[in-house]
Amino acid sequence: MALAASGLLTACGGDGKTGSAGGSGGGNGLFRAAFSAGGSQETLDPHVAPNFVDQARAKALYDTLATYADDMSVRARLAESWESDTSGTRWRIRLRSAQFHDGRPVTAKDVLYSYRRAADPATGSPSQVLLSAIDFAASKDEGGRSVVFVLKAPNFEFPTVFAGPGTEIIPDGTKEFGEPIGSGPFTYVSFTPGGTARYRRWGDHWDAAPHLAELEIVPANDESARLNALLSGQVHYAADMAGASVERLKKEGSTRLLTAERATAQQMLLRTGREPFNDPRLVRAVQLGIDREALVRIALAGHGEAGDDLFGKGLRGYPDHLEPRERNVEKARRLVKDAGAEGLHLTVETSSVDAAWEPAAELMARQLKEIGLKLSANTRASSTYFSEIKTKGVAAFNTTSTLPVSDFLQQRVRGGAARNQTQYSSKKFDALLDRARTTRDEGDRLSLLVRAQKIARDESGLLVWAFSDANDAIGRSVRGLRAAPPNSHDWARFDRVHMA
Amino acid sequence: MRAYVLRRSLLAFLQCLVVLVAVFAVGALLPGDTADVLRGELGTPQQVAALRHQLGLDEPVWARFAHWLGALLTGDPGNSLTTGLPVGDDIGRRAGVTLLLGVPALVCVMVLAPLLGTVSGLREGSRIDRTLNTAAVLLHAVPEFVLGLLLIASVSLGAGLLPATAVGMDTAALLAQPAVLVLPVAVLTARHLCDLARQIRVGVAAQRHGAVAEHLRLLGMRERTVVLRHVLPNALGAAAQQFARCVEGLLGGAVLVEAVFGLRGLGGGFVEAVQNRDLPQVQTYALLFAGTAVVVNLVGDLVAHRLAPRRELVA
Repeated sequence: MALAASGLLTACGGDGKTGSAGGSGGGNGLFRAAFSAGGSQETLDPHVAPNFVDQARAKALYDTLATYADDMSVRARLAESWESDTSGTRWRIRLRSAQFHDGRPVTAKDVLYSYRRAADPATGSPSQVLLSAIDFAASKDEGGRSVVFVLKAPNFEFPTVFAGPGTEIIPDGTKEFGEPIGSGPFTYVSFTPGGTARYRRWGDHWDAAPHLAELEIVPANDESARLNALLSGQVHYAADMAGASVERLKKEGSTRLLTAERATAQQMLLRTGREPFNDPRLVRAVQLGIDREALVRIALAGHGEAGDDLFGKGLRGYPDHLEPRERNVEKARRLVKDAGAEGLHLTVETSSVDAAWEPAAELMARQLKEIGLKLSANTRASSTYFSEIKTKGVAAFNTTSTLPVSDFLQQRVRGGAARNQTQYSSKKFDALLDRARTTRDEGDRLSLLVRAQKIARDESGLLVWAFSDANDAIGRSVRGLRAAPPNSHDWARFDRVHMA
Repeated sequence: MRAYVLRRSLLAFLQCLVVLVAVFAVGALLPGDTADVLRGELGTPQQVAALRHQLGLDEPVWARFAHWLGALLTGDPGNSLTTGLPVGDDIGRRAGVTLLLGVPALVCVMVLAPLLGTVSGLREGSRIDRTLNTAAVLLHAVPEFVLGLLLIASVSLGAGLLPATAVGMDTAALLAQPAVLVLPVAVLTARHLCDLARQIRVGVAAQRHGAVAEHLRLLGMRERTVVLRHVLPNALGAAAQQFARCVEGLLGGAVLVEAVFGLRGLGGGFVEAVQNRDLPQVQTYALLFAGTAVVVNLVGDLVAHRLAPRRELVA
């Protein structure tokens, strides 16, 4: 038994003996990365990418036109360059020379097909709303590697779409993803839904071939299973570590934590379109009534920092130098009294989706009691939580990982947007967003966004009470990976990995 | 005997049907559906509605149940709503893992429980009995996932003797490296072994001091014969039914054990199917579990009937 066991450990240890099948030489070993995969649609269709594991798999097989840097600014990938006309409605994109895994060149036709498919609501791309701004009838393939997108309305922030999840470029006409072909750094070897996805390095990738010979993305929904697999050397990468696992990993010499600070915005959504939060005094009272430092200390176990009701600290377009939100019990209590809401009973929706929510709800209940509000928690099933809170309840917890600030504001705060869950609606805010979108100068655009955020911060009911860290962990022998926020390009970027 | 089997089989069929209806009803009462789960936070209401229509979830509940049941009668449990693939594919893959886990665990329980139970029962109050009993009580008190984590920490990560998890391994990989299975099988075995051994111990002790045994001894039968002919068959007969319940318990315990060790078996599959609101899959699991429970109970009753034919078992 012991012999067989040590045999297994070596086999999984990435000792370089797995060889480099395919590609033109180079590469060391098999790299295994463990992700939580429960509840995902389990297809290699890159345009359906609800979970982090889908993103990691898509990143291996496919390319996008552009990608996000850590601060969510846009960096070129398949697109070599882009430029708009003076109105911001016509965007010409030039593609670099790249090939799909079957040797065909990546052309404008493929880009148009991919975007059209991802813009179709039936496909289910997370970027569908942004892509639907494109007028596909007017957009055109200028032959070969040049494509022109015509937008229904001017938008100088349009290039954020090129880096959006679910906008991967697939060969024209692709409908089946059983043996998927992309232009990404790895080629497809095998995949079973709910099981392991296996890839091989692709020597002809335009951005230099991966160092690894093979990559396996393996599912392990249980956090302790991912941790134990990493500690024992069965996997080289364990995604999404939290709480006790993080503490454990800090003490472990055989592994390294990759901590993306402030990657996750912890929010409480107050539905301003409904009683009682249609009274702005109560929204303000809750903002002033919660103790953010205490929430970070207790609900996040210190792994994070206090939020000030704005999304995207550290990202491009985040308004710095704003006064931090300080707790003011006196003022909050007065606001509650003025609103005639003393002793009002409120329910906040929570679930086990994020381990911080339930302790946060408990703590907030105690904090808000001091300002005269009674808060209790309603725990919902985790897999349907997000769809349920769209229509139910007056307050709910939510988390969002890094996204471009402008996209976040468009999708979650703008009046009438499908994902605007607080039902906030402000003509002034919307007008500022529209002006930002149609402003050509980047500096002016960002200052308009800052003005819009200052308004939304006070009124929208979207309270960012903290930013929490996102943690992944790697084995000591792994080189070439660094901490990066989920959704950014360098997160789970296995094409640059090599093993010492 | 044949009438008994027939009656029990008919009952078993009805039981399965009741389970199916109940599971479907409960499944339909759960908040949200597959479309909600798949589109989750990102989906717009239009996207969710489009997917719901595409999956046929906008049909009435009873129509979907009838549709599923009708297809099942032709031997096809349909496609998973989550993956679009035949339900049988995923369950088949997972069943292999569960069998690799369950069969060795069952064999361990089947061999060790009578052995330990009989040794204890025949030496009531002795040091070995007290030791075994204490160990059984202690082991039984440790939840399965805790036991799993303790074993991983000590045996795998501490001593480096056995692999810690089975993350990323399918049936073939497990067969190639059976060492991976040692810890999960041990955890799965522990609780049921304790249960069954203690029950057999009590049975053996009771039978040994019972009036019948005393009578046989008075008739001059040798102690060995008393034990083999009378004490064991009666004690094990009662245990056969408990053993059958053990099989159901193993399926339940597998959920935790699979999670801790990263195994992709039926237990975790059922949990995922429920989380995904994937009713065709949930139904097929329910049918499989109910069918297994019914069959093993039937076998358990028949064995008990055979070992100790008593009238009241027929009820």
